[in-house]
Amino acid sequence: MLAENLRILSVVLGTLAVFTLIANSIPQVQSEVPPDLDFSANVTEAELVSSGEALYSGAGGCVACHGLGTRAPNLLTDEGGTGAIGARCGSRVPGQDCKSYLYASMVDPNDFLVAGYSPIMPDMRRSMSDAQIWATVAFLESQGGTVTVTGSDIVSEGDGSGGTASSPVPTTATAGPASASSDPLDILRDNTCLVCHQFNGEGTPMGPPFDGIGSRVSSDYIRSSILDPAAEVSEGYENFAGLMPATFGTQMTASQLEIVVQFLANQR
Amino acid sequence: MKENFKLTNRKNLLVETKEPRSPFLMNVIKISGVFFLICLGLQLFPEMAWGQSPAVREYGNFPMIGSRTAIWIAAQVHLLFAAFVLGVPMFAIVAEAIGIFGNNEKYDNLAKEFTRLLLVAYSATAIWGAILVFLLITLYPRFWLYLAEIFEVSMWVYVALFFFESFTLYLYYYGWDRWKKGHAKMVHWSLGIMLNVWGTLVMLIANSWLTYMMSPPADVGPDTAPAMVQFWSAFANATWMPINIHRILANVVFGGAIVGAYAAYRFLMAKTDEERAHYDWMGYVGNLIAIGALIVLPFAGYYLGREIYEFNQQMGITMMGGFMSWLWIIQAFLIGVLFLAGNYYLWVGMGRIPGAERFVPYTKYMLFVLVLGVIIWATPNTMIANREEISAMGGTHHPFLGVLGVMSAKNTAVNIMILTTFLSFLLYRRANIRPTVSWARTGTLIQGALFVISAGVVIFYGVYGYFVSAIVRIGFSVYQVLAVLFTIVSVMVIDILLGRGAEFRGDIRWGEMPPRSQYALFILAVTFTWLMGLMGFARSGIRQHWHVWEVMRDTSEWAATPALGYASIVISVCVFIFLGLVAFIFWLGGLAEKPATSSVAESAPLGAIVTPASTTSES
Repeated sequence: MLAENLRILSVVLGTLAVFTLIANSIPQVQSEVPPDLDFSANVTEAELVSSGEALYSGAGGCVACHGLGTRAPNLLTDEGGTGAIGARCGSRVPGQDCKSYLYASMVDPNDFLVAGYSPIMPDMRRSMSDAQIWATVAFLESQGGTVTVTGSDIVSEGDGSGGTASSPVPTTATAGPASASSDPLDILRDNTCLVCHQFNGEGTPMGPPFDGIGSRVSSDYIRSSILDPAAEVSEGYENFAGLMPATFGTQMTASQLEIVVQFLANQR
Repeated sequence: MKENFKLTNRKNLLVETKEPRSPFLMNVIKISGVFFLICLGLQLFPEMAWGQSPAVREYGNFPMIGSRTAIWIAAQVHLLFAAFVLGVPMFAIVAEAIGIFGNNEKYDNLAKEFTRLLLVAYSATAIWGAILVFLLITLYPRFWLYLAEIFEVSMWVYVALFFFESFTLYLYYYGWDRWKKGHAKMVHWSLGIMLNVWGTLVMLIANSWLTYMMSPPADVGPDTAPAMVQFWSAFANATWMPINIHRILANVVFGGAIVGAYAAYRFLMAKTDEERAHYDWMGYVGNLIAIGALIVLPFAGYYLGREIYEFNQQMGITMMGGFMSWLWIIQAFLIGVLFLAGNYYLWVGMGRIPGAERFVPYTKYMLFVLVLGVIIWATPNTMIANREEISAMGGTHHPFLGVLGVMSAKNTAVNIMILTTFLSFLLYRRANIRPTVSWARTGTLIQGALFVISAGVVIFYGVYGYFVSAIVRIGFSVYQVLAVLFTIVSVMVIDILLGRGAEFRGDIRWGEMPPRSQYALFILAVTFTWLMGLMGFARSGIRQHWHVWEVMRDTSEWAATPALGYASIVISVCVFIFLGLVAFIFWLGGLAEKPATSSVAESAPLGAIVTPASTTSES
């Protein structure tokens, strides 16, 4: 009985060992996390290219499609006799220089779809910060071309979805300057209302959406909510109580406030 | 007769006293305790609620192995137990139904023995579930709060359903001998159905949490607060249903494989011919369930893969062609092992079937087809290559391997392997009979033609796939699988009709199996378990450094998704923990109650269960 048990144990351990050994004998590829990049205005070309290459070959995941040249254009060697991407990027779209084209290709990839390929590339802003995208552009420019990306191109680091974003906690909206406009949408935009309230697909759905708000609450309720946001909190938004500044009553003129109230009350 | 009945009942009473006191109550208390703690965790922690306590730390730290690996092991072992306790009831009620409607006691006993295995594994499932929840709360508190805020209602429902499932399971098992006659038996069978319903609902809820992490709704972004996420769109997300279907089938496969291994162990340890015959038969049934469900599993796999591509092409490409490229080569190797071991078990099993000798010469051809299929299935193709490697190959693909390594060739290979395995099973079925119906020859020719036609369809779409885009090619795999499934169903129906009134060449000599065949069952169980671990890594790993894909980034020090080598070590550890615990709790279960080992040679009608002579099987 002991011998039989040992034989069974040997079979089990042997099978596990074979599978583990095989998995360890093949090339080991780890999916790295894209490193956060924080460039100053004086960043050098070498720094940009080096960072971009690391992203392109590693954590950026670019080679899964571009490295093969079957799912997406080959960027590093040659694509249909046109050379590497740095040599051809400046002439892809008339009037658009290389870095503009490459940047646009990463954030709006389907606008310039290369013939023969499917629209499979996502907007890279969902997974990369602006600095990471620019570094990748610099690396691609260096492949047969001249690097023109500079520190001044990198105007903002991260957009909330990129390299440095980790917390799902939304940031508190800050009030903008008072608007001189009498157009309700301009007033809403100028006072950053759409940072937290969504309307017609614009804005972030952190507070109650403005779409259909007139059918849910009265104009008095809207007015008092703008002047004293903490007085009453809409159901389902209790966790955001206190986030809305109580400064809009002083930021807007009385007529602007009424324009906004009536505009919202009519959204049914 | 009356005296005999009394004696037997007295004997049964003696058997029952061997069981622990009030096992039902003890199990309920045990499960309740575990879930009380889970509820406590669910309820207490959100008190530090989202946004109300900015001091909530992002991550905890698990000593030695790190938080990622700790969660990984807890989740994987819990999932393995959960798969077992969800898969086994499915074929337990089928076996019980065969026992009821076919008046066959041996299936009723088999169903009860399946359920006994279930019972002892159930507590372990709950315990590992509790371990997983507490590790999540302590190691990934912020992520847990995020998930809990979106899914809190479903978490409460989950706990309630688990209670229903527990009570139903205990009623189902402990009521087996009490509700054995007439309407009571039907009520008992209904309990088995309810057990499956509760279990499936529990799984559907848990699946929504993990699939939300993979495929959150498109309108959810990094700045979307959890309170703003629509519950139903988060619950029924893009990959929820494909995962549900895939897991239901995979649970059946897995349950069958573990039952097969259990039977193999009991076979090797058996002291009597009767016991050996019973466990030989049980092992055969377990293997049949596992391989049978495995045959349809690729269809669910293709559906899941297609939905992943539909949800996000980048995610699909990461899965199939990115850093996980090599994973599919390992998967192909494992599938090869499964097919070869499953077929080997059937071929060896033919040795105990009179008349099977005439089919033995064909096994070498089937072996050739299977090995060829494995070689093609395991051919690397879309590997990430560096500049030097590309130069050395003269292109991004290897000039020879590139042709065989694409999905067109692989899908073709695996479908031909499925057809070959089905042919093995068909020969096994036909071994000891000779059809005598007037249309026997025509029927057999039609069966052969169906095999040829479906193989033709599979090869046609395999070749055509080289000339179309990836998304179209994935669609072709559906046609290939449908052709194979159609053939399997049609051929099976014809075969059942052919078997009516067939000339019988002799009984299967259950128990006369060489021990090597039982080791094939162990290898099948280990391979299935390892494969589940590998696929779990694939499903979870394609999120890469995201807790929730492109919504919530993993900023911990363990955010990088490890390479396959490290993953394989963790998977092996999980499999070893699982199999070790399974062996231990099965042994514990064996201490409490001796299994039913009714002779499989006799097929007593179910009505005979209440007769004195047949109630001695548990003594």
